[in-house]
Parts: sequence; structure tokens; C-alpha cells
Amino acid sequence: MSIHMSGGRDVWTGPLASTPADPLASTWTALNEVLDPEIPISVVELGLIYGVELKESVVTVRLTFTATACPCMGFIREDISDRLEQEPWVERVEIVEVWDPPWTNDRITDEGRARLKQLGVGV
Amino acid sequence: MVPFTEAELKKKVQEGYIVESVEEMTEGYKKALTVQLTVQADTELMSAPAYWMAARYAPSTNTQVSAHAIIQDELAHANIGYRLLEDIGQSKEQLIYGRQPHEFKHPYGFDQPLENWAELVVANGFFDRAGICLLSDVYQNTSYGPLKRALVKIDMEETFHLRHGEVWMRRLTKAGGEAKEMVQRAVDWMFPMTIEWFGLPDKLKRHAGQLGYKLKGLTNDQLRQTWMASTVPLCEQLGLDAPAHWDEQKGEFVLDYPFPCQYDAAERRWAFDEGEISWDDVFKRWKGRGPMNEIYVESVQRSRGDVQRWLNGAVA
Repeated sequence: MSIHMSGGRDVWTGPLASTPADPLASTWTALNEVLDPEIPISVVELGLIYGVELKESVVTVRLTFTATACPCMGFIREDISDRLEQEPWVERVEIVEVWDPPWTNDRITDEGRARLKQLGVGV
Repeated sequence: MVPFTEAELKKKVQEGYIVESVEEMTEGYKKALTVQLTVQADTELMSAPAYWMAARYAPSTNTQVSAHAIIQDELAHANIGYRLLEDIGQSKEQLIYGRQPHEFKHPYGFDQPLENWAELVVANGFFDRAGICLLSDVYQNTSYGPLKRALVKIDMEETFHLRHGEVWMRRLTKAGGEAKEMVQRAVDWMFPMTIEWFGLPDKLKRHAGQLGYKLKGLTNDQLRQTWMASTVPLCEQLGLDAPAHWDEQKGEFVLDYPFPCQYDAAERRWAFDEGEISWDDVFKRWKGRGPMNEIYVESVQRSRGDVQRWLNGAVA
């Protein structure tokens, strides 16, 4: 196991050379590189993403947080925007905060659970 | 009965043997591990009151929440250290509440006041970076299994503290004017403070206990270089003056001031112009402790038993 830079910026693969056939799917792939600032599993695996829409180069990300007093909200927003705005089909990222339904650890994906187990973190 | 002699254990751990219990430890190993864990836990513990007193300068509620989350992490990290010390025969109760302020083993840097938001975030950027350098080296190299497992969580959380420090250093320097000047003033006293934190240069080091028992992998000078390799470029990027530069010929970072040198805690100023002092002088200053030592320790110790008394109805 290695300790990644906060937000996983050291493992971001960088932008694709051109817009792929299915840009929405590639948006999800890019989003899956954005890591939680503390635990190195992605915001997708952690279940923080409630939806992604792509309309005329504007990506709308519906995002929740694990707690209303999450100390990392600013960092997570910044990481998502910075990662997605690298892609040629993304001009702007709009983040919509969603609090309903509230996040619980049931939302962590199987991949996320497997990674947490590897890290020695129980869910 | 310990199954190894000192020499046997030293050889085994260098070959990759992992110690899992106190029964496998020689006296020398236990002593070196106790010192290492005490310094680690005390440092985490004393960072909490230092950060706490500075968190009141947070510019908004959200930023204060972030600062308090860091303090909460530091207390949890301290607890992990003391908990590991209990496994090798120490008392957590005694270590936290039974010692005098000067008996704690944290670095001199955490005996200093943090007087504004800029100083708090530079502490996150510099001191927590030093913590990451030290602890990720321990994580990668330690021969003590329980510590290696505990450090996974600690190192992950420390990266968030560092991010907090660096993001805010960037914001304040970008704002320019007085905000940037405050960051520069913090860098002026905290850069040399962190350099000194890594301790005696290798050429003066008299014994290599922690390296011999493979409780860490890098020497003091190597760790100092690791810290500068991140910190000097960060300062350059932000347009801040740091008293060190990369020396092409030597292939390493070199300091632009006499090291070690004297620190005037009241003036919060390093006496670069007075030249190099001896490490005995440094140890004397460290032993004398800094201006906030008693206040920080007292703030941790004074709440002892309060909750129990409240539960018992002793306090209205």
C-alpha cells in the first residue's frame, strides 16, 4: 500500500486526447480517479455521487458527503472540478449538493469495500 | 525468557523479521521502541492544544470545522501511540496525566504559540509534513508489526492535514499584501524550527538504536532532505523566501544560515547573525522547554476526571 497525495492527484491519468464515443461513461471513469482526501478510495466507490449529467459541455455532478460537518467538503468539490475540467469534452463542472437520501455506509460499492478491506479498514 | 540475544534480534530484523509481541523483545529493543513511541504520541498530543488555541482565528465556521477535525485526528493518533505503549508495559494514565510538563518528549516546535491563522496553516504545511516524512519512513521500515498496522490510518489522515496547510498557504499568498506577509513571518520562524526538529546531524550521531533495530529506515539528515525536497519548492512556487536552496554540485538541499543556531523565543527570531552554536546549546534550550509548554500540558491535564464528576452529579 502506498500513501497517495490527498485527492489522489498523483494517480490521475490526465485527459484523453479527444472526445470518446461515450463521453458520459468516460466522465464516470475520470470521476472514479478522484479519491477521498483521507481514505484512498474514490468518491464513486464511497457512494458520494448521486448522478452525473452531461449537457453541452457542462457536467452536473450530484454529490453528497458522509456528514454535514465533513471537514473536506471544499477539497472534494475542488478535486472533482479540477479532474473533470481536464477532459476535452468538459467546459464547466456544476456541483449540486444532495442531502436526501442521506449517505450511509450501505452506499459504499463492492469495489470500495474490497479496497477498504485491503487497507485494514472495517465497514 | 527472551528467545534472542541483542545481536541475534538486530540481525533478524534486518533480514525482515517482524516483532509482534513483547515476549520477542530484548531489553534494548523495548527501550528503543518505548522512546520512539513516546516521542510520537507526545508530539501528536501536544499538537492538539497548539492547534486548538490557533483554531479560534479561523476565518469562517466551515474552516473552523476543518481545523477542529485535524485536532480530533491528532488526539486519536496520540491515543494510538499511548495504546501501543501499554502493550509494552507503560501506563497511558501515567504518561498523559502523571508527568510534569518538561517531561514530555515532543519537539520544541510544539512549545511555541501559534498566534494567527497563517501560523496554524504553516504549522499544518511544515510540522505535519515533518510528521509524514518521519512516520511514512517508520511505516515502510519498522520491524514492529502492531505499529506498522496502526500507521496506515495515521498516515492517511496526516495527508489531509498537509493538504489543509498547503491549500491555505496558497490562498493567503495569492491574496498578497498583509496576508502574504503573515505567511512569510510564519515561514521565517517555522522553517528553521522544523529543520532542527529532525535532530542531530548524522556525523554527530553517537548511537543508532532505532536504525539498528529497524524501527526506522532513514537517518536524520536523509529525513531533513526529504522534508526540504517538498517544502523548498512549495515556498518557491508561492513566492515565499525559505532559507535553503538546491545545490547542483552537492546534489542536495543546503541551508542558507548557520545550523544549528540560537532561537529567541520571546522575540520569535532565529539569531542567524550570531553564527553557529553547539548541539549541547540546542539540547539545553530544548530541555528548558518553550514558552507554551506548561500551558499546553496543563490544558490537556486539567480536564482529567471532569466527565466522571459530571456523571456523578458533582458539578451542577
